[in-house]
Amino acid sequence: MDVLHGLLHGFAIAIQPANLLWCFVGVLLGTIVGVLPGLGPPATIAMLLPLTFLMQPAGAMIMLAGIYYGAKYGGSTTSILLNVPGESASVVTCLDGYQMARKGRAGAALGIAAIASFVAGTVGVVGLMLVAPPLARFALAFSSPEYFGLMALGLAMVVLLAGRSLVKALLSMLVGLWLAGIGTDLFTSVPRFTFGQLELLSGLDFVVVAIGVFALGEVLANMEAAEEDRVLPVPKGLRNLLPTGQDLRDCRFAFVNGSLVGFVVGVLPGAGSTIASFISYGIEKAFSRRREQFGTGVIEGVAAPEGANNAETGGALVPLLTLGIPGSSTTAILLAALVLWGFKPGPLFLSDNPSLFWSLVASMYLGNVMLLVLNLPLVPLFAQVLRAPAFVLYPVIIGISMVGVYSTGTSLFDVGLLAGFGLLGYLMRKLDYPSAPLILGLVLGGAMERALRQSLMMSGGHLSILVTRPIAATMLCLALLLLAVPLFARLNAWRMQAMEEEK
Amino acid sequence: MKTTGIWVAALCALACAEASAFTPTRPVEVVVHTGPGGGSDLLARSVAAMMEKEKLLPVRMRVVNKTGGGGAVAAAYLAERKGDQNTIGFFTGVWLTNPLVSDKAKVTLRDLQPIARLVLEPALIAVKADSPYKTLKDFIAAAKQKPGELKQSGGSITSRDNVVRQLLQQETGARWAFISFPGGGERIAALLGGHVDLMVIEPEEAGQHIRAGNMRVLAQVTEKRLAGFPDVPTLKEAGFDVPVVPQVRGVVAPPGIPADEVAYWEEVFRKLTRSASWKKFLADNQFEDGYQNAADLTKFYDQFTSQMRGILKEAGIKVVR
Repeated sequence: MDVLHGLLHGFAIAIQPANLLWCFVGVLLGTIVGVLPGLGPPATIAMLLPLTFLMQPAGAMIMLAGIYYGAKYGGSTTSILLNVPGESASVVTCLDGYQMARKGRAGAALGIAAIASFVAGTVGVVGLMLVAPPLARFALAFSSPEYFGLMALGLAMVVLLAGRSLVKALLSMLVGLWLAGIGTDLFTSVPRFTFGQLELLSGLDFVVVAIGVFALGEVLANMEAAEEDRVLPVPKGLRNLLPTGQDLRDCRFAFVNGSLVGFVVGVLPGAGSTIASFISYGIEKAFSRRREQFGTGVIEGVAAPEGANNAETGGALVPLLTLGIPGSSTTAILLAALVLWGFKPGPLFLSDNPSLFWSLVASMYLGNVMLLVLNLPLVPLFAQVLRAPAFVLYPVIIGISMVGVYSTGTSLFDVGLLAGFGLLGYLMRKLDYPSAPLILGLVLGGAMERALRQSLMMSGGHLSILVTRPIAATMLCLALLLLAVPLFARLNAWRMQAMEEEK
Repeated sequence: MKTTGIWVAALCALACAEASAFTPTRPVEVVVHTGPGGGSDLLARSVAAMMEKEKLLPVRMRVVNKTGGGGAVAAAYLAERKGDQNTIGFFTGVWLTNPLVSDKAKVTLRDLQPIARLVLEPALIAVKADSPYKTLKDFIAAAKQKPGELKQSGGSITSRDNVVRQLLQQETGARWAFISFPGGGERIAALLGGHVDLMVIEPEEAGQHIRAGNMRVLAQVTEKRLAGFPDVPTLKEAGFDVPVVPQVRGVVAPPGIPADEVAYWEEVFRKLTRSASWKKFLADNQFEDGYQNAADLTKFYDQFTSQMRGILKEAGIKVVR
């Protein structure tokens, strides 16, 4: 009853015209920021922070949170249309989303991304509303050994991201892991693989590598086929652009998977939405009946990660609001905003400020509806981009990529890196190395290494800490199982073949 | 008579400074070494808001995040801006400590133009509420009994967290592990989840967890007790005669800026630290007023650097300069 009462109270505040307006401003800004590669929610929220001092805290919080989850909606747009990940969490969306666009199904991909985001985003808010306090305790049970297990499980997904050759996928992943090692070591302050470059001391920006390898590599590879200057097919009419009933049925499991994985991973302060999207994509593929078609434009391959990165928002607010523990740079800046407005975030925040919490929750329900209404009509508009011929589209992609990368750190060095990784992406395509495992290695490498070394420091150097803690052990077992699956499949195929021959 | 003379001279100096007054003409870039939401970033943003409220600057301040290398990237960026009239930076003690252990840090705080020291952030030593250690003495005794088995969560090895641990270890001979976590949230989560035994935490961060009964404070890393924690002993009162290492934060400018510009910035920050907004900001965050002008700040560099050099050497960390 408390929940219902709180929620009604929250809606009463959120539905005030001013707050509705702030909610709309937030989700609109978020969508724009999400669509533009480079500029992310933390930088946007930080820039707008001074303006919020003149606002009511409830309205300000509603707006800033709107930017946060709105950006997750917009992030998929350029991933699907141009193979340029708009946000780090949308990298996985490139895999199937871009292939769908190349097959003339850009509209369906964009539509399902919006719908999955809406479903999972709403589930995330429900989770935040109902189970925040107990889940916060679960988040505390997670420490370095458990994170190591989670990251190992994520890395095991490589077998699912592999193309024809598992060996090439593993090699690609190892390069990703090495790239993750570049920068200043946290534990000893020793620079690694920086080659005397000051700019490399903070490590590689993941967005630079992802945009280079995915977007630039794709453009370079496509430019080779100079004679094939055909425009991508874009069907006419809104009805033909949006996902069909069959698409929605195909995504049933992806909605559930994305929502749950996104929310649970979001609750963990040391994980993040990129990892959530990779894991839900992996799960989706592992349990799919048409596993072999993933990577060629399967609609579930868009729905699962897009859902996951939106449900993550609700999850990430759990430790922030119930414990005052931020898990990402976006939640850190939200925490800062709360402090600057005069609140004391922490374990007592909910009981001290129920109306702020409930108005935020209510606004997130409204915001998700607004985003769906805002994004679906944009689908045909965005899909038209693909009508542009290659000589227009490719320079635009390269331009957007460079501006996006420059805007993240205002550093020309990063633009140079972008060009380098573009070439790497091109070479990998030519030599048939999958690029997703490289990105996976880069995303997980840093966190995984930290988790392992922290675990070993906790145990005084004994590896046993990784298997004596139940959550960590379970996840490591799952990872092993995942790695073993292709072996079994091969063994089985071999056995079948042998039986055939015997006959 | 003599004093009048000095007054006249001072007034003239002020007036002359006013006459040739430098004022920034376009938005001031404020360089910080943490990402959005980090300590320096938040201070810079709060200062920007206060400057506007108190009308101390004719232009806006724009925070620029140059992360990495424990401040090395941000310091190098400032050094590149030699003579730039519209750029300043916010430093922390890490900018002094990091170059001691990293030969890659080409630019040190000494290569930049000092402006002012602003705050000293005190710290608390905290354990989880159900921890068996009621006092710091309990913890130290337990650490002595099982050397290396107790754990502390904290930042990098050059952070204040580790410096406090090193000082206590040297003083008592006890040994415990130090586990680095990149984010402040993860450090607290590790303590509250029972994965580590102790942490050094800032008072404002700890306040809510203490009120909620999740955390207990054993001692404060301060010279005298903080207003918010009247019942918690300082390190000295708890029986540990170790130097108090505050986290220091202040302002620097690029090298090679003219003297009137240095004077301008000094004056702006002096006025800021006299304002009501600033007093409220200090009280809200339980910071100590650490104001020092440029001349005193230079002396502070020397004192802090030699203290840190000694601490790092004792801790067995390789000191490169």
